[in-house]
Amino acid sequence: MSEQEPQYEVVWPLGNSHWDKRDLNPGLADLNGKTVAEVWDRVFRGEEIFPALRAALKKKYPRVRFVEYDTFGDTHGVNQKQVLADMPALLRQHEVDAVISGVGA
Amino acid sequence: MLRASAAIERAGFPTVSIVSTGFLKQAEVVARGLGIDDLKIAHYPGTPMVDGSDELQRKVADELLPQIIEGLTSRRAGERKAEAREPAPREIVSRGTLDQVNDHFYDAMWTDGLPVFPPTLAHIERFLRFTDRAPDEVIGVCPPDNREATVWNIAVTGVMAGCRAEYMPLLVAVVEAVTDPEFRMQDAGSTPGWEPLITISGPIATQLDFNSGASVMRIGRRANSTLGRFLRLILRNMAGFRFAPGAGDKGSIAQNFFVALAENEEACSDIGWPPYSADRGFKPGDNIVTVQSVVSVSPPLYTGSDDPVEHARVLAEVVGQSCSYWSPVAMAYAKNNPLIVMGPSIAKVFADHGWRKDDIRQYLYDNIWIAADDAERYAYYIGLTGFRLRDQVAKGLLPPDYCASDDPKRRVRVFLNPESIGIVIAGDPGRNQSKCYCSNHTQGPPVSRKVALPQNWDELLPRR
Repeated sequence: MSEQEPQYEVVWPLGNSHWDKRDLNPGLADLNGKTVAEVWDRVFRGEEIFPALRAALKKKYPRVRFVEYDTFGDTHGVNQKQVLADMPALLRQHEVDAVISGVGA
Repeated sequence: MLRASAAIERAGFPTVSIVSTGFLKQAEVVARGLGIDDLKIAHYPGTPMVDGSDELQRKVADELLPQIIEGLTSRRAGERKAEAREPAPREIVSRGTLDQVNDHFYDAMWTDGLPVFPPTLAHIERFLRFTDRAPDEVIGVCPPDNREATVWNIAVTGVMAGCRAEYMPLLVAVVEAVTDPEFRMQDAGSTPGWEPLITISGPIATQLDFNSGASVMRIGRRANSTLGRFLRLILRNMAGFRFAPGAGDKGSIAQNFFVALAENEEACSDIGWPPYSADRGFKPGDNIVTVQSVVSVSPPLYTGSDDPVEHARVLAEVVGQSCSYWSPVAMAYAKNNPLIVMGPSIAKVFADHGWRKDDIRQYLYDNIWIAADDAERYAYYIGLTGFRLRDQVAKGLLPPDYCASDDPKRRVRVFLNPESIGIVIAGDPGRNQSKCYCSNHTQGPPVSRKVALPQNWDELLPRR
């Protein structure tokens, strides 16, 4: 006669998600005539990627305008909290329509 | 970086984020935790740090550009995915034998790969007796997956890790420490693959049978081992740091969890040195947990002599060799918290000659250097391509002597200040060994919490 193995009833080991969900903002119809901001976390060759992107976008959309990453500070640096807190006002001040953020995850 | 993107999107601006291949899976976890799981991503294929300039330019033009345009111009309403219902805390999610429960948990990626204790209601209730706090109290939120760590699921995780119920006050204190925003739990899955190290101070270490002597950092003593495992499970299940087939953990090579480190406070007392808890601002005798990141460990560091200067000299040489390569990251983020675990016999030589911990810290600060061009070169390869010592000095993040001349070979200090060097007395009292645990700058600086014991702690403690 085989021995009955103990049975266990167990609970879920994760915690409730604390996600403040929201939808994406509407996109732009056209980049011509719009202002695009670059924000950079100072890693992974953004100093080469952003200028290359800028040139390529300008070629395709001659009337696009850029606010370059130096305007906004390091989004992953020592002052990250303050940089992110200041960002919305700074973007509005520069009349930004859209943002390219890099580089990494 | 996605945290910046999400903040900008929340402020009302359409955003597209550049993410390289290796970070795509992690981006999913981060974006979900930030509440915008459909954040627009422009995928840079491959690894930018190993591409030549021409290849990088080609990828920008051929790969990134169309995705950037698409991400900023074509967005549809209602792209968000519907959420699946998640179980309530006491809801039974699995019934079966030990093997069946473990298979279920492993398949769901809720384990660390080792078998877990089944979290049954009866077992969890035993843990809850060891805290006066309500089971549904939220102790902290765990980014990037942003799940709530409640007293209840701290107990669940403690059960799974194999902790004893009486460890519960420590488990709560550890979660309080790592969910402090200063600790930056959200960065515990970064590519260096750092691990948190828990240090236990106070009489609770003896009460709960922690090892502070020989093989202090070896798995084998239940209290040390399961407390370390508990924290790894918290990072996995509450913060979402899982590697493939999961996501979120980007440790390139990474390392295993550390067992908890207990200080030999008797040895401190014998030589008249304050315990580590006092260095952290608490009263000697308080029960304290401190958690900090460890990105690498020095070789076993043997020093011999009855002359404290000789011990200090060798400590500086080997600690310097161990920590200098990683120091540019600390210079970039203006934070560095190396931790030296010092054998009691070595501490005694220092103390017998009137040295205090501060004297050792000052000696190490004054005698560990790296060439400036090596610091900038290492930083670049790590990925900090925007890092320049001159800029850090200009921003006031490093003192002026980091740019005292234009000589690329000028020496700059590895440690940013003496005060941030931690010293804990532990290990084999019958040998003359120390080790240095290098930290990961702003990611996981030391954060301490006092352990709150239940009112009837002495009655509850099992007599063993």
